[in-house]
Amino acid sequence: MKLPITLKVNGESYRLDAEAKRTLLDVLREDLALTGTKKGCGAGECGACTVLMDGKPVNSCLVLAVDASGREITTIEGVGGLDGLSPVQEALVDHGAVQCGYCTPGVVLTAKALLDSNPHPTEAEVREGLSGNLCRCTGYVKIVEAVLAVSRASERRD
Amino acid sequence: MSYAIVGQRVRRVDAREKVSGRAVYTGDLNLPHMLVGKVLRSPHAHARILSIDTSKARSLPGVKAVLTWEDTPKILWNSAGFPPSPGAVLMEDQYILTDKARYVGDAVAAVAAVDEDTAERALELIEVEYEALTPAMDVEAAMAEGAPLIHSAEKNVAAHMPVVIGDVEEGFRQADFVFEDRYYVPKVYQVTMEPCGVAVAAPDIDGRITIWTSTQMPHLVRGITAHALGLKTGKVRIIKPPVGGAFGSRLGVVNEPVAALLALKSGYPVMLKYTREESFLGTESRHPITMVLKTGVKKDGSFTARQMTAYIDGGAYATHTPSFAGPVAGWFLAMYKCANIKVDNYSVYTNSTQCGAFRGYGNPQVVFAVESQVDDIAMALGLDPLEIRRKNHPCEGEVWTWSGWEIESCGLEEAIERGAKAIGWDTKRNGQAVPSGTKKRGVGMGYMMHVSGARPMLHETSAAVVKINEDGSANLIFSNSDVGQGSGTALTQVAAEELGLAYEDVMITKTADTDVAGFDIGSHASRQAYSGGNAVRKAAAAAREKLLTMAAEILQVPVENLTVENGVVLTREGEEKSISVAEVSHKAHFGSHGHQIIGVASEEPEGNPPVYAAQFAEVEVDTETGVVEVLKVVAAHDVGTAINPTLVEGQIQGALQQGIGYALTEEYRYDPASGRPLNANLADYKILTAMDMPEVETILVEASCRTGPFGAKSVGESGLVGTAAAIANAVFDATGIRFRELPITPEKVLAALRAQEK
Repeated sequence: MKLPITLKVNGESYRLDAEAKRTLLDVLREDLALTGTKKGCGAGECGACTVLMDGKPVNSCLVLAVDASGREITTIEGVGGLDGLSPVQEALVDHGAVQCGYCTPGVVLTAKALLDSNPHPTEAEVREGLSGNLCRCTGYVKIVEAVLAVSRASERRD
Repeated sequence: MSYAIVGQRVRRVDAREKVSGRAVYTGDLNLPHMLVGKVLRSPHAHARILSIDTSKARSLPGVKAVLTWEDTPKILWNSAGFPPSPGAVLMEDQYILTDKARYVGDAVAAVAAVDEDTAERALELIEVEYEALTPAMDVEAAMAEGAPLIHSAEKNVAAHMPVVIGDVEEGFRQADFVFEDRYYVPKVYQVTMEPCGVAVAAPDIDGRITIWTSTQMPHLVRGITAHALGLKTGKVRIIKPPVGGAFGSRLGVVNEPVAALLALKSGYPVMLKYTREESFLGTESRHPITMVLKTGVKKDGSFTARQMTAYIDGGAYATHTPSFAGPVAGWFLAMYKCANIKVDNYSVYTNSTQCGAFRGYGNPQVVFAVESQVDDIAMALGLDPLEIRRKNHPCEGEVWTWSGWEIESCGLEEAIERGAKAIGWDTKRNGQAVPSGTKKRGVGMGYMMHVSGARPMLHETSAAVVKINEDGSANLIFSNSDVGQGSGTALTQVAAEELGLAYEDVMITKTADTDVAGFDIGSHASRQAYSGGNAVRKAAAAAREKLLTMAAEILQVPVENLTVENGVVLTREGEEKSISVAEVSHKAHFGSHGHQIIGVASEEPEGNPPVYAAQFAEVEVDTETGVVEVLKVVAAHDVGTAINPTLVEGQIQGALQQGIGYALTEEYRYDPASGRPLNANLADYKILTAMDMPEVETILVEASCRTGPFGAKSVGESGLVGTAAAIANAVFDATGIRFRELPITPEKVLAALRAQEK
């Protein structure tokens, strides 16, 4: 059964008909060609598909597209572009926190949401915040350093 | 020696595209009329296939191809990514789709359909009649008298490799003490975040087929895939987009032949993308090995005889295993000097998914056993564990038994010294670490050596083309098999350094394409910086020589007086003349010469310089819960020249996450009766999260070598090789309990603590 939905993604509205069983992840990737959001498990275990829904990180593989109708969705394509990267993205690049890059879009969105709600987290809070985003390349060392560096830089500006 | 670009922490060439979500991975591709491929997998660990009825699936609207063994070329092949070489023992025992089920997940049929729902419905409509057979799930069962035969051979032992140096029996007679212990290491899984097994195959009208695939080895995968399909190698073109992690899992063919056969039979492009569960079920993992070590030692801690008998569980198909037995022997015999060494390796078929390459390639298994036993020996003899390693490891100038070649450089002494200081060895060892209540603390270490490539066992060919553009920038054309480790960045640094150009002015081919770049073995054996780096440096040097020759002509100075720095050719001393690379190159293109300055190299590197590491762990064991918490790991690594220290640290830090998992949390398990996997998902297969990772300190020891590009050796695999041993030795230091089986789970720790109390 297809249902008409309106998805608000990265500030743009999309009207489409989605099968009730389809996930937000699949609709983003297949219908809207927003392939920056990655699929790592399809079961909410790895965090590669993290997007923001009304500013909060969710595993888009666990959200039905119809349930995302009318909500504000932010994907990696909505964070930084040709005109410049966001502070979290810049920090990940500068700290060498990117390797294969498959977990990276999810990490960017999780870190963004964390810093938006808690601009100066402790290291333990950063680690807890990122604990739903599995990474197999970095040991999280440089990712944690990068997120803490963003916090420190904004502290200087505060 | 300091350099302008080598040794600098430059940003990765692919960081911005990855961090912005713009990097297009294989699974992100979409071609016109692209079909979705799916594989039907055996639910039985061991079964005869009596019949397959595909008629219902074929008649389902939207289904474009349904394939079984009947449709596959009757060509046996081996998926392991090896070049034909002395060390490659390639037993061919696979078909693209099997005629007998040898593990749960074995590929029995495949479909291509217009969408995923239709493909999945088609799989449900395929009717397979199985006759279930008894499975053999471990080496004991597979080697037992009357064991069910997995292949048509008379036994399940695929290969037996003995290695003998000197006379171990004589060595044991000379020993003051003989230690004999049995160790077991389990199957563990690479867990790339991009599930292993994703390819798009597209046939063209001229009889060629293009395959985009997430691979470590574009050229070798081209050859194996062509062989499996019965095509000439040149008919297959492999394109490698960004890869979402590899760690050995993509070291050879994964699902390219199935995708290609579906594409050829349907006539359309086919995307074949394994789910997370399928990647666990159907792709290669680390070999479980049972190792019996027997070591003869003098009172002063010198070895008189070293012997290992290893039973390697290779799973259902040979793939890497008979060749893998070679390095397993090599790691063991080359670690410590001894006149008498004997290795007996048995490669055994079982009804589990075939095993293959995983970062370290047998070394983590062997080092866990050897370094656990060496600690016991040191303890029994009252020797300092650091001293027994210092005393017995092979050093610079000595012959390394792994390769038979002289060791070019050795940074182990410094690694041990700095690592021990960083962990607080002298203050924390022997129960000096402060316990807290019911918790006990201890520190331990493990040492390892590893390769830079696989010579002389395997060929290590690389090729590079450097072309200088008319604006003074340069392209580096390379079969870039960067799978996340950053080799594309390191190679760009090598080229820029040699050319005398700014890093930003050298652009590597980010995507590997076998129609474009010269033959390269790929990413394996920690070889890219060393082997690839040497070819890149030579190609760049050839271009530089042509550039300087032409500049000398323009400037009217002898060529030997010229050098090039940051994009400018200038005289070394004396008369001050200069000209930009851009101007020389522009004149080359459009002046009277009419040519582009291009440097080319295709070669094997001269050597295989080993790297060393000393890793230290501090642990806290909770005696009430049995939980082992790693408080800190210090990883002191001799890598040769660190071309980019940030990348080098990243390799070690990421490997440590895998090494700690190997020690404590990771084990891919099967039900021994049915052969069904018990934890083929990321909820039940436990890799460390950001919260689980301890404090990590990396120490780089740069014992540069003569044959490496700017002195570089390697780092890709070595970060996890010694980790489990260091942790097990720290647990011993904390509790006095020796664990000879991984992972060291709370259940095992509690049981051992209870036994200790009695």
